Amino acid sequence: MRKKTSSIILNVVLLLLGVVTVYPFVWMLSSSFKQNKEIMALEQHLLPQQFITDNYINMNAHFNFLRFFANSLLITVVVTVIVLYTSTICGYVLSKYRFRGRNLLFGFVLSTMMIPWCVTIIPKYSMIQHFGWMDSYKALIIPGMFSGFGIFMMKQHITSLPDEILEAARIDGANEFYIFHRIVFPMSKNGISSIAIFQFLWTWEDFLWPYLVINTQEKQLLAVGLKMFNGQYSTDYGALFAATAISIVPVLLIYLFFQKQFIAGIAASAVKG
Amino acid sequence: MNKKMIAAMTAAITAAVGLSGSIVMASEAVPTEPFGDTVKYDPTVEINDGKDISVELWEWGSDDLFQQVIDGYTAIHPNVSIKLVNNPWEDYWTKLPLALSGKNGPAIFNVHNSYHENLINYMAPLDIPLEDLQADFTGVDAHVIDGNVYYIDYGMMTGSVYYNKDMWEAAGLTEDDIPKTWDEMREIAKKLTIKDGDRLVQAGLNFNGDFHQNYLLGLNYQLGENLFQEDGKTPNVNSDAMKKVMQMLVDMYEVDGVGSKDFGEKGADSFGQGQSAMVIQWGHYYNTLNTTWSDINFGVFEIPTFDGEPYAYNRYNGESTFGINKNAPEDQQAVAQDFVKYFLANDEAQVTFNLAMSTFPAKKSLAENEEILANPSLKVLAEHIDRYIWPGPMPATMETTLQTAGQNIFFNGMDIDTAFEEAQENIIRDMKNSTFESVESLYAYAE
Repeated sequence: MRKKTSSIILNVVLLLLGVVTVYPFVWMLSSSFKQNKEIMALEQHLLPQQFITDNYINMNAHFNFLRFFANSLLITVVVTVIVLYTSTICGYVLSKYRFRGRNLLFGFVLSTMMIPWCVTIIPKYSMIQHFGWMDSYKALIIPGMFSGFGIFMMKQHITSLPDEILEAARIDGANEFYIFHRIVFPMSKNGISSIAIFQFLWTWEDFLWPYLVINTQEKQLLAVGLKMFNGQYSTDYGALFAATAISIVPVLLIYLFFQKQFIAGIAASAVKG
Repeated sequence: MNKKMIAAMTAAITAAVGLSGSIVMASEAVPTEPFGDTVKYDPTVEINDGKDISVELWEWGSDDLFQQVIDGYTAIHPNVSIKLVNNPWEDYWTKLPLALSGKNGPAIFNVHNSYHENLINYMAPLDIPLEDLQADFTGVDAHVIDGNVYYIDYGMMTGSVYYNKDMWEAAGLTEDDIPKTWDEMREIAKKLTIKDGDRLVQAGLNFNGDFHQNYLLGLNYQLGENLFQEDGKTPNVNSDAMKKVMQMLVDMYEVDGVGSKDFGEKGADSFGQGQSAMVIQWGHYYNTLNTTWSDINFGVFEIPTFDGEPYAYNRYNGESTFGINKNAPEDQQAVAQDFVKYFLANDEAQVTFNLAMSTFPAKKSLAENEEILANPSLKVLAEHIDRYIWPGPMPATMETTLQTAGQNIFFNGMDIDTAFEEAQENIIRDMKNSTFESVESLYAYAE
């Protein structure tokens, strides 16, 4: 009886927390079908009093939404795929190869996670200017090819793979290239899924760096476009909510697609050392 | 309703441009004769020897507005291509100085004088004789640095009283009741206030959230006090004038009961929500009302004064002309100089920009322009526009510290003397390393 009561209380608490977490999203979604004056009205209603779709239809008034969306998708997918590969291969080397300075190297990787982005952004900007990569996707992709967090996570994850499997493969004549791509990579799918979700989300919502290095409107990303709704004196909330509602769809899909492996990957990386 | 909604979905500025009906620059015949007042633009003079050249113009807010001027200019000079780069307002000020510090920054960029100190070192002086600018535009002297002018104001924005006409009528008031003095204003506000017992239902006047910008930093001039002392650097916020204005605000809420510090976080929103009958807001609010709060039937009148003969009516702030990047290649700078001259000489561009921003034209010849005077928020300024003061690009601490002082008085029970004494000290400390110097002494009627 006591166990059942505890379970009910726990579920009620979780339900309340769930509502608190999800309500702002529902409110935003609902508000994307409202007029601005209704969004800012004194008397608030969750559902639109006057249902309109103009916010979605007129989204392109501020910028070329579909173009920005496609640009974001391209950059996010490319960066995420590259980071998955580099993180896994670096994690593999740092966890399974023994060489002088390995721990120092790993410490260096960890230290990159501890430097605030605002410290590095100006030197990074100067470098990109010097390389002549301004207004080019090279400025978005190349500096983002390696992730300290990804390498750390994958090192932790790959450490848990039994060395015996790798040794057996070597005895069977597999080379290192084969072992990494055919054994380590498939066996790391939980860790890879976790990194995929994190990296996709970070790249998708990254605003400042793309904004600083991309000038041409046709090349700009969605996170920058969303900021265009905030004017000097006012914000077009309806259109902003509509654009944001659409912009989170890819992130939701990625999470839904990888969620099982994500949870397993996070748990595994957290306990293995 | 649908049309109104479409308007609301576009940015305020863009909508205002559309409403003004003056989007004709690019579609008009290409001028072949010199035009302008003293600053003249000669369209027959080739730019860049007729060779193709491309420059960038960075701005925030309104692509359509800038594109019209670009189209007008490139119609005269088809060899020039000006690429417009739109930016979000807040982050523009991070990106622009970074870009201007290199060789690939925009040749032309939109300026806001609140970021003067961040930008001025990257700007090239205008290649237009100072006396020509002075002849055509108001307030040029305040922008002179070592004999050079880097940008000027094309328009002046300031505060006016916005009132709800339906509430006005319901209170039995007519146009004849529009107040000229603060005493009259307080009486009118009382008539517009509705209470249910002790509960405020409708505020006669609401200044929540912006009393520091719209009252404290401006009404001091009506009482003959500047915001800065004679040295132009020391703040003058601990003055009798400032305290008198603050006391009036406190009395309006606590003695007259025409509003409450708890009646909505922002007076501007409360007015739009139909909860408050009057607010003092700056020109941009006219566009906000026409887009976001399109159901409100509103009117505008000039800010009241204490005695009908003020030293100045209020503070204004200028909307700035374009900046020219001194690090841009010389041929691009030449195009930028030519483009700015085109903008300054072009009355239609001046009118369009001023209507879009709800600013009163700084160009003297446009003071009685029909389109300008057809805008109620500008018409009320016309009679006394020379009686407004620009203190210069004040550091942000002036606003934030006075806001804190007012909040301490309203919410923390601090007395006015202590709050302003504290504010004075804090502003002096914050401005210790600032290069700001007030230009209040350049006011035409400076005493």
